[in-house]
Amino acid sequence: MKQLKLKIITPERLILEEMVDQVSLPTTLGEITVLPDHIPLITGLTSGDVVALVNGEHVPMAVVGGFLEVKQDENGITNVAVLADFAEHMSELSDEAIEKAKARAEELRKQMENKEVVDYEHFAAELERSLTRVKIADKWRTKKYRK
Amino acid sequence: MASTKEIKRRIKSVKSTKKITKAMELVAASKMKRAVSSTLASRLYAEYSWEVLTSIAKNTEKITHPLFVEREVKNILLLLITSNRGLCGAYNTQVIKKVLAFLQNSQKTVFGEESKRPSFGIDIVAIGKKGDVMMRRVGKNIIASFFELPSNVSLFDIIPISELAVNEYNLLNYDKVLVAYTDFVSALSQKPNIKQIIPVSKTDLKELIEKVAEAGLPREERGRPASAEKPVDYLFEGDQEALIGSLAEKITRMQIYQMFLESNASEQSSRMVAMKNASDAAGEMIDDLTLVFNKARQSNITREISEISAGMASVN
Repeated sequence: MKQLKLKIITPERLILEEMVDQVSLPTTLGEITVLPDHIPLITGLTSGDVVALVNGEHVPMAVVGGFLEVKQDENGITNVAVLADFAEHMSELSDEAIEKAKARAEELRKQMENKEVVDYEHFAAELERSLTRVKIADKWRTKKYRK
Repeated sequence: MASTKEIKRRIKSVKSTKKITKAMELVAASKMKRAVSSTLASRLYAEYSWEVLTSIAKNTEKITHPLFVEREVKNILLLLITSNRGLCGAYNTQVIKKVLAFLQNSQKTVFGEESKRPSFGIDIVAIGKKGDVMMRRVGKNIIASFFELPSNVSLFDIIPISELAVNEYNLLNYDKVLVAYTDFVSALSQKPNIKQIIPVSKTDLKELIEKVAEAGLPREERGRPASAEKPVDYLFEGDQEALIGSLAEKITRMQIYQMFLESNASEQSSRMVAMKNASDAAGEMIDDLTLVFNKARQSNITREISEISAGMASVN
């Protein structure tokens, strides 16, 4: 079966580079699923989960903000590049880390009420990150996925 | 000649200083390695965002987003990246000197008669305590200072800085945003530099990305198809203006992040070199002092022997 090459890149590191069967992504206009031989596409991403399907197994990842680029390379393989501000493997999110993220989100929300403009941006970004982690972790808690 | 006891005490104090400088050298070396590797890790993102930007630019005739459009320069915002701590050789002095020269130049063009350039004001955003102190001393207007950045900085730590720069630019408070940072050439040489980040100039950006790419892996391993030559017809989903806007903001952020990493690597490497010199100097000083100590000890013994033999002679 034809596969596509998924790359998830953040400014800090390369999170994932793997051949997958299909991938679902949260774009600004709603969730899409990219299959091999998708036409070239550029679009923005919102916070949520990127779910790749490899051999019938789900590989979920939490991402926050960024872009999606789909294109064909010279060998005819579909390349899907996700440029995210932040991304994390679901399996990296242990229960403990989730609890921490939850506590952090609460704390940040409290702090945000009395903060100056400059710091506000930082906290807003942190808050979004924490909330996304919690949301995605909750969603996948009961489902089965590849660790 | 100082007493042996005193010399001994001095040797001891120099020895403990050497221990400290040696430890600082090792710490700086490991921090430098980390900073360099994170600079390399951010390269892939830079390349891809550049690719996305060029493909958008190809499909739209002209980018009209304000972050790409040059406008008449009245006010400049300068981000100055320095360290929070001293003991790092000429690192801070170099970049501050560069900034002062830049400020002086701009003063000349303001007041010089032959100048045809429009006059402009310069305000500072200080990143790092050393630059902040220096800019306050020369009486520059500092609109914000950031001191709390950790040495293993993440992109999230940069957001407030880039957001501030972009907002000030969008509010028309400033017409150009520059960054003064230190370029990490190698462990032994760092170069202070001033670069424009807003409006986004495509040639500058390309240069930056290419430079970073060269510093990375060999070409074959980079695995980046030369798609620049083959235009791809992309489908754009969503508002293109908004996409360009957020891309521009991300690129700005990424640039500041990268410059910060470069500066960080430079800081650590110049600290490493400074501390190495200090350790070497301490070693030399210990040798000298040991020599002096031995001489003093020797002369003491000689004196005692001659005293004893003189005593013996008088008794006999």
